[in-house]
Amino acid sequence: MKINQQTVSWLQVAPLTVVLLVFFGIPMLIVAAVSFFDYERWQIVPAFIFDNYVELFQSSLTLRLYVTAIKYVVIVWAVTLIIGFTVAYFLVFHVRSLTLKMGLFLLCTVPFWTSNIIRMISWIPFLGRNGVFNTGLEELGIIDQPLSFLLFSDFAVIVAYVHLNTLFMIVPIFNSMARIDPGLIEAAHDAGASRWRVIWEVVLPLSKTGIALGSIFVITLVMGDFFVVKIMSGGQSATVVSALATEIASLQYPPAAASAVVLVVIVALMVSAILRLVDVRRELTG
Amino acid sequence: MASDTRKGDIELVAVTKRFGDMVAVDNVSLRIPHGAYCCLLGPSGCGKTTILRMIAGHETPSQGDIRIGGESVAGQSPLRRGTAMMFQAYALFPHLSVLDNVAFSLKMRGLDREERQQQARELLTKVRLDHFSDRLPAQLSGGQQQRVALARALITNPRVLLLDEPLSALDEYLRLRMRGELRRMQKQLGITFVHVTHTQLEAIAVADMLVVMDQGRIEQSSSPDKIYNTPRTAYVARFIGGQNVLSGKVESVSDGIATLRDAGGARLTAPVGNARPETGSQLYLSIRRDRIEVAKAAGNVADPGEANVVRGKVHSIEYQGSYAKVTIDLAQPEEFVANVSDVDFLRAPVEIGDDVLARWLPAHVRLLEGAGGSGDQRIYADAELI
Amino acid sequence: MHSTADQSRPWTFYALAAFFTLFVLFLYGPMIVIYVLSFQGPNGGLTFPLQGVSLHWFDALIKQERTGDIAGAFRRSIGLAAMVTVLTVVLSVMAGLAFRRRFAGAGLVFYMAIASLIMPGLFVSLGIGLVFQMLGVTPTWYGSALGAQLTWTLPYGLLIMFAVLGRFNRAYEEAASDLGASNWQRLRHVTLPIVLPGIIGVALFGFTLSYDEFPRTVLTSGSSNTLPLEIWAMTTDVTSPALFAVGTVTTVISFIVIGLALTSIALIERRRLRRVSSLDESSTVG
Repeated sequence: MKINQQTVSWLQVAPLTVVLLVFFGIPMLIVAAVSFFDYERWQIVPAFIFDNYVELFQSSLTLRLYVTAIKYVVIVWAVTLIIGFTVAYFLVFHVRSLTLKMGLFLLCTVPFWTSNIIRMISWIPFLGRNGVFNTGLEELGIIDQPLSFLLFSDFAVIVAYVHLNTLFMIVPIFNSMARIDPGLIEAAHDAGASRWRVIWEVVLPLSKTGIALGSIFVITLVMGDFFVVKIMSGGQSATVVSALATEIASLQYPPAAASAVVLVVIVALMVSAILRLVDVRRELTG
Repeated sequence: MASDTRKGDIELVAVTKRFGDMVAVDNVSLRIPHGAYCCLLGPSGCGKTTILRMIAGHETPSQGDIRIGGESVAGQSPLRRGTAMMFQAYALFPHLSVLDNVAFSLKMRGLDREERQQQARELLTKVRLDHFSDRLPAQLSGGQQQRVALARALITNPRVLLLDEPLSALDEYLRLRMRGELRRMQKQLGITFVHVTHTQLEAIAVADMLVVMDQGRIEQSSSPDKIYNTPRTAYVARFIGGQNVLSGKVESVSDGIATLRDAGGARLTAPVGNARPETGSQLYLSIRRDRIEVAKAAGNVADPGEANVVRGKVHSIEYQGSYAKVTIDLAQPEEFVANVSDVDFLRAPVEIGDDVLARWLPAHVRLLEGAGGSGDQRIYADAELI
Repeated sequence: MHSTADQSRPWTFYALAAFFTLFVLFLYGPMIVIYVLSFQGPNGGLTFPLQGVSLHWFDALIKQERTGDIAGAFRRSIGLAAMVTVLTVVLSVMAGLAFRRRFAGAGLVFYMAIASLIMPGLFVSLGIGLVFQMLGVTPTWYGSALGAQLTWTLPYGLLIMFAVLGRFNRAYEEAASDLGASNWQRLRHVTLPIVLPGIIGVALFGFTLSYDEFPRTVLTSGSSNTLPLEIWAMTTDVTSPALFAVGTVTTVISFIVIGLALTSIALIERRRLRRVSSLDESSTVG
């Protein structure tokens, strides 16, 4: 009684596939469909119109939202990349004991497993006018007046993003670096390369996959966020998704859906651009 | 521990195995008698492991049949066939204790705990590991792990035990000791062992029956001493080590001896029995390296009529304890080596760069069939005789 | 990087170590501030200085003054996380096993899972909310929110299983077959036990991701809040350190769960991977 191996696989993968289809695949299609709907005050009206998209593209607000979002993305990407690369480099190449390496790595990842909102909020008493940072600087005599740009500003937003997302850079880069054959580094040293040359010529290219994966994570997370920017900017800044959230709150689903579709397309383009530069498939499938 | 009463002779009937376009085993037929210790010997990729796995039931032949004890085992599970395999890295279950590892197959069969643990303990006592019953595999050394793997395989009372490079994971010292253990155990159990290896010395040390393979085909299958003394093809001669391969064009044949002229102009003789090779045809022959006498050529000119002597420069000398390995450059692509006993070497030493004459007795020459192997010259690492 | 004989550290080690320390402080600092502040005295405000040390705000949580339905939200979060954990483990393990063979549609399922991972949570929430609305079904925390969270945890679970099963040595399974195990016996007695650490990892991800999940739950939990939603509601009118107390409690729970999972993984791995010197050999080979 031999069941076809393929059938066994199908049966095994079916539950997961069904769940994803029902709770992801179909809802996404519905969102795409609703983006073509019309709406009245309190309800959506099934239709097939392009009005939502037209309004979206004609509004100057859209452009501003994207500019803000991309501004954040670029800065956060750069900062998380530098921090992530440096931390991963330190852990892989400078920490000798394996237990210590894994221990420190875990130390970095543990915050990831606690609530994002709490972590984000924890910056408020830290950065506020009467917060720890300001009072600390005042006591040390470095400043006379509390720095007000620290909180409810672009600075706060970026700090929060970096705080929440650097881990996503560290993990893939750490993985890529750990796979580099130490013999290569030694060979480069023996050939006379300085430390910086070694990083530039050997470590960096071999970490490409990790950097690409990390970048994809960071970009999608920042582009898709709505609550960090809302809270940390004190409501002063808005990005695409935070504006979207407002539309949802006022039950304006069709324009929100259209905005969502456009964002997904744009992010998908960004991601495929990265994938074109670097092949990550090997990394993902082990 | 009585072995299975079904006979454990193995027969491969025109077996071929393809992986996509690659032919791993090419139309191989082989008969291994019951109770033999058979070694499959060859370099990586020659098909020996594939054959082992097909006998085990972990691969199915693309063509042909495999019979054990006279009956075809096609489609049968490893257990049903009465085969058990010892894997290269032992594959001991890391999450089970030594005792549970050994008792595993009994558990699969449904024996209750008491029963199977008792049987496992008995077997572990036989391999002198009963004190380690409660340890995990990771806590054992390589040699100990191997014995556990052996016990685990033997508890199923197989009629054939298949060993996939069982000694390659061990260090040199252990390898030599375990070789003896395996041989002893096989004799005790009386079942058929099929042992795959790429190490020539190991194979000739343990095997009753040696099968030399290359590129999916059997080059020669016989007892180790026959293979060592009378290799069938140049491939076997080169692979098994300890031989020089020479070749020349036939000049004349008389009384079962052919006279040849080699590329360097030297005269060679080879016994051809009843065959009458054509004049001008190319023959290959082998001469054992320890049957060669080396002397300085200075002033010594070989009689042009004398056969089985060649002249060259000493290229390198390697001290090997009981003999000196003298490599002589004959201005030919094939390596020519004389293993000179230390007594002889001390008596008449030579140095690198010396012009020397190497001679041997016609009686020690063996004729080879064709060029053997793939045709291109592949020189394999010499077997070091200890 | 340097030969093991070279024990001295280059200056870069100290520089990088300092950087790393700063990073860790950056990660944990704000959170620690919150924990400290949660012990604020009854009259204290949202920032330093501490006006007395007390458990007043923890007390307030329990008594549910000023905090909304924290106990209920907490119960729901734990319950939901438990359900998500079980489902994620079962579905991810099954699907992971399926992917060991080739089967038609494998690529599609894989890409759908990745897409689900990268999709901004808010959109998934929106989609599911719309679907439920259209079907006239009320969204509930144990229904729609469960599904929404699964779209986030299942891809992670699947990727972990890929990594774990990819490294899994098939020789163990062959040995099992060789010894007479049926396919099912093989799975139960050999494959699953050996990859148990990985499965614990999947469970860990399932629990923590669900417990802290916000964007996907925000529009799908219906009328009852989970803990993150409750916290979000509290942030919009932050008036007391009760929020910090919530933060501390929820983080402690996360730490306990993480600690349990990591410890069990470490224990299992240590037992199985301990190396022994071959000097033991000589005393026992007879």
